[in-house]
Amino acid sequence: MKPFHELLASSAEAHGHLCPGQVVGVRMAMLGCRLIGLDDPTHPAQIKKLLVYSEMDRCAADAIAHVTGAKLGRRSLKFIDYGIMAATFMNLVSAKAFRVLSTEEARLLVGHYAPEIRGKRQQQLMAYQRMPDSVLYRVYEVKIALSEFDLPGPANHKVICSRCGQAIRDHREVVLNGAILCRPCAPGCYYSSASEISWPDMNWTPDLHQACKPANTLR
Amino acid sequence: MLKTIRVEDAVGTRLAHDVTEIRPGEFKGPAFRMGHTVCEEDLCHLQRLGKNHLYVLGIEEDEIHENQAAVILAEALAGDGVVLENEPREGKISIFAGIDGLLQVDTTVLAAFNLVDEVMCASLHNHTLVRKGEMVAATRAIPLVLKRAVVERAAAVARQRGSVLAVRPLRRAHVGLVVTGNEVFNGLIEDRFAPILSEKLTGLGSEVVAVDFAPDSSEVISSAIRSHIARGCDLMIITGGMSVDPDDVTRHGIRLAGAQELHYGSAVLPGAMFMIAYVGEVPLLGVPGCALHHRVTVLDLVLPRVLAGERIGKAELAFLGHGGLCRDCAQCCYPHCPFGKS
Repeated sequence: MKPFHELLASSAEAHGHLCPGQVVGVRMAMLGCRLIGLDDPTHPAQIKKLLVYSEMDRCAADAIAHVTGAKLGRRSLKFIDYGIMAATFMNLVSAKAFRVLSTEEARLLVGHYAPEIRGKRQQQLMAYQRMPDSVLYRVYEVKIALSEFDLPGPANHKVICSRCGQAIRDHREVVLNGAILCRPCAPGCYYSSASEISWPDMNWTPDLHQACKPANTLR
Repeated sequence: MLKTIRVEDAVGTRLAHDVTEIRPGEFKGPAFRMGHTVCEEDLCHLQRLGKNHLYVLGIEEDEIHENQAAVILAEALAGDGVVLENEPREGKISIFAGIDGLLQVDTTVLAAFNLVDEVMCASLHNHTLVRKGEMVAATRAIPLVLKRAVVERAAAVARQRGSVLAVRPLRRAHVGLVVTGNEVFNGLIEDRFAPILSEKLTGLGSEVVAVDFAPDSSEVISSAIRSHIARGCDLMIITGGMSVDPDDVTRHGIRLAGAQELHYGSAVLPGAMFMIAYVGEVPLLGVPGCALHHRVTVLDLVLPRVLAGERIGKAELAFLGHGGLCRDCAQCCYPHCPFGKS
């Protein structure tokens, strides 16, 4: 794994700015990977061994994803919307999992660790780099009941919504009174009042002549 | 895990804690010690002490008893120059000065330690002069039984910079003293600085090896300083001329003597006109006239720290502000007062 300061710099660039959450997230990821025995999680030899559960969608989540290489689209990054500054790192080979939780007392100690720095944000930035892991985090060994439908790899389960006909993969259907429903048709959908529309320039297509020719262009 | 049982059901079980008995004017102490196996004959005594229920020990594999925890915590907190009490009692261990010297407390790490649940440490103030055998701190595991991981984390926090508590010996300095001022140089007034400072330095285990008197001339003052250092003085104290009048040239003399890193002004009253500077590794302390009129000034706060090897700079002089106001009590009881405590 690259040194902390290199990871912090690249993570901040990817995220869009350097902030205290980047420090907390980079260090959380470094610690989590160390605990599960992965010293280079973005390397091809290790990339498929890792699952990360992030319990918040704040700046630290981006840092964790950057350092570990875990991605939503690879199914190696799971977002668990708890609103807690914590993440769990799981080694899929050993099944060992550790939840790393950022402590509230770390916030209280910022002024002690960086008394000479002015400005709350700058002070946090420096203090979180000076605190040892023992002050920044608490670590719990946890067990994860991992479903086969949560594993990386191709989708292997598909059903059809009995109300709207939508295909649902990865066992994300809801069964209500014996009926298979997609989440939008089931209670608690995140959107409402859906009304299908037509839209301007409906036939827009990427201009293949501007870039390279497509692989199957006939000569 | 602690289990609560009725006293009547406790025969054959081991007590999880001391049971205290108080007979006013006669006795206060443990009637039964932690670990004692309760027998039939004890029941009456326990009930007389008002005990209807007891905790009994049932420690899980991932737990430890408060006394074990206290030892782990104390060993992590203690650094050079401190010693621990032999046996913990009720989860508490006291920590003592192992030598005469200056107590140093890493207040940041102490705060971090005390923010860990279920443990605590209370100490004397940082920079307190202590004698061998004086209690300087105590630590306690608060519950009767704790999770081992919590105790280990607290110990790791305490060790993040080595330790939290240390006592540093004061070196025996060979002090050169330069008393400045035309009036004292010309014999118009009797100097009182030399006897006052000699007494303070002797009390701290150092000695004044050379005394010079200098007029209000920065060249003469600097020459006297250089001469003392050349003759082996490893701490210089220069008195008088520290204020802002045209004749107050002592700090210019200190600068001319080749001092680097001059810091003029301290956040202490009395003693705002204090200066500290360094010629190489030799500290130079510029002491204002208030030291003649006040039993305790900024010098009494800074001198022990210098003798303990601390390099005092701008930040250290500024941070003295909180607690740096002497209340000028009719009956001075320093150091048992808030002066210099922050």
